[in-house]
Amino acid sequence: MIMLKNNIRLAFASVRGAKWRSFLTMLGVIIGIVSVVTIFSLGEGIRRQVADIKNQFGGDLIVVQPGRKVVNDNEVYKSITAITSPLQGSLTQKDLDSINQAAAGATVVPLTRVGATPRINDSNYSAGQVYGTDEKLPLVLNHKILFGSFFKATDLNKNSAVIGMTVAEELFGETVPVGRSLQIGDQSFIVRGVFEDFVSSPLLPEQDYNTAIFIPLVAAQKLNGDQSNIRLVYVKPGDHPTATVISSLQDKLRQNYAGQDDFSVMTQAQNLAQTDAFIAALTGIISAIAAISLLVGGIGIMNTLLVTVSERTREIGIRKAIGATNRQIVSQFLTESIIISLLGGIIGIAISGIVNYVIRITTDLTPVISLEVIGLTSAVIILIGVIFGVTPAVRAARKDPIVALRGY
Amino acid sequence: MPLIELDDVSKVYGLGDATVLALDEVNLSINAGEFVAVMGPSGSGKSTLMNVIGLLDRPSHGTYSLEGRAVARLRPNQQAKARRDKVGFIFQSFNLLPAMTALDNVALPLAYKGVFQTKRLKTASAMLKRVGLQEREYFMPRQLSGGQAQRVAIARALVNNPSLIIADEPTGNLDSAASRLVMELLQDIHRAGNTILMVTHNPELTRFASRVVFMHDGSIVSDEQSAIGEVAAGARRSMYFMPRTTEDDDLAGVSALMTSEANDRKPVAVQSRQAKLKNYKKIKRAKAKR
Repeated sequence: MIMLKNNIRLAFASVRGAKWRSFLTMLGVIIGIVSVVTIFSLGEGIRRQVADIKNQFGGDLIVVQPGRKVVNDNEVYKSITAITSPLQGSLTQKDLDSINQAAAGATVVPLTRVGATPRINDSNYSAGQVYGTDEKLPLVLNHKILFGSFFKATDLNKNSAVIGMTVAEELFGETVPVGRSLQIGDQSFIVRGVFEDFVSSPLLPEQDYNTAIFIPLVAAQKLNGDQSNIRLVYVKPGDHPTATVISSLQDKLRQNYAGQDDFSVMTQAQNLAQTDAFIAALTGIISAIAAISLLVGGIGIMNTLLVTVSERTREIGIRKAIGATNRQIVSQFLTESIIISLLGGIIGIAISGIVNYVIRITTDLTPVISLEVIGLTSAVIILIGVIFGVTPAVRAARKDPIVALRGY
Repeated sequence: MPLIELDDVSKVYGLGDATVLALDEVNLSINAGEFVAVMGPSGSGKSTLMNVIGLLDRPSHGTYSLEGRAVARLRPNQQAKARRDKVGFIFQSFNLLPAMTALDNVALPLAYKGVFQTKRLKTASAMLKRVGLQEREYFMPRQLSGGQAQRVAIARALVNNPSLIIADEPTGNLDSAASRLVMELLQDIHRAGNTILMVTHNPELTRFASRVVFMHDGSIVSDEQSAIGEVAAGARRSMYFMPRTTEDDDLAGVSALMTSEANDRKPVAVQSRQAKLKNYKKIKRAKAKR
């Protein structure tokens, strides 16, 4: 205990004694820690965003989509296929009818995709997606209209549009563009309402309804040249249990696809499970790469300490002559190595905090430095200090006091 | 019972043709309270003897008992602990740790012993007071003069209350005034009952010793009691080992070694080095056979 306190004091003294060198030694660890922490916090931020997206429409909202999706399968490549090839093809009118039959009593809302780009006069808004839907969408999504109102059942043949907040800001340049008009294809639409902000993640643009323009189904079909082009169908089970609704939907739809599951029926949470798994896998892979820089940092510490040990041969000799045991010498140098890596780690975590802040204000990503990450990296830092400190420390302790006193 | 008892202690360095016999069956016993000066030319084995007695080195052969305890075959850690508790070192080049204050330097042996900081610093402070450097407690070694630094080193050697103090040319780096101060301090410590073993080249310093040992080629060739205050008789003879130059030589740039007037004198060695080595090997073989 006494020696520990002493050793810590000594370690700080030797760090202070060679500030520039100590900083350079720490630099490797700092860079490593910054990259690992940043990647982890980005992953964590995205994971939380995805979790919010999962939950924003309620846990019982069922989504029927074309194409096959793998559920609850953590194999990375499948996840990657799942996320990189979203929603090929579309459901047919027949499918929609089947869904309506199978989910009697539930609220069914189709969402059709319109290929045309929205614009005002000559300024295009290519980021915006245009969806055709019916009046029950706000009900199904359980989402409020912030300004104006959603179109009623009686308005489905009118050219009115309800937009997300990003559209309002980026296309119209104002928060409440109610009453203004925009062009989609050769049609002109009047903005009726603006949706409240949706939870979104820049990694999942498909899921971002803030950039969406919702128009009535009929108008959408006209724009698509009478193609229905159904992208997905939301089913709110209402009083029925979600699982039974899902299985009856699957049974019914299978008939349309000759017994094949060439469609997917799942809740929003299941739908995003792969995204989660994918992000976790991606974070893992990238941080493994970043961990290499930590390793390099550790080797840097070892290198410097080895040099230090031979520089301080005489000191070691004096200490041994005075009566330091080998273990005491080892603990002195080990403490120094741990202190250096710990200081590097603290600086690294502080810098990642700054990096995080910069990412937050410059992008839509919301990285989160969780306590787990800090705890984990601290453990890793101490581990690095120990692992890469052992060799120099043992070397120092093994020095023959007589030779060391002469300074070799 | 003597404090130090060396029995047939030998030390061999190196391998094959490079073998050096640094100590050759040395027998030496030192009682508590003695002030022993070890003299001899370079390479005579003084330092090796000092390292062995100071537990920095282990003898190749022979037995060594310190305070009745056999210490020749201690493991490095036990050796370190014995060194810490029994031996205090004073070096020619002071060997203070440059990054520490005088006080911390003096307190260091206590730290390795595991004494708490407050007590440690108190003891160290008392020790610095004893060597007359109370006002220099918080000076760094580079801020101290040579004499002061050596006195700090003496305080450090004393702080653990060792049974033996080993001084390796304690005045070698000091001017004459500082030398006298340091030697008087050592004398003082000796009077207080400490045992001191001092290695020196300077015959003048035998004035302070109660016993003078001469070494040559790894053997003790002479061992005499000497009256304190007088240069030992043998030391006068050993002026041979201390080649001196005159002022004229200095001016002429002549090396001290070339002008050694003692070239015609016979060295005190009894046996030639080669003969000794041969002898030693014979003994070793005999031992192995047994």
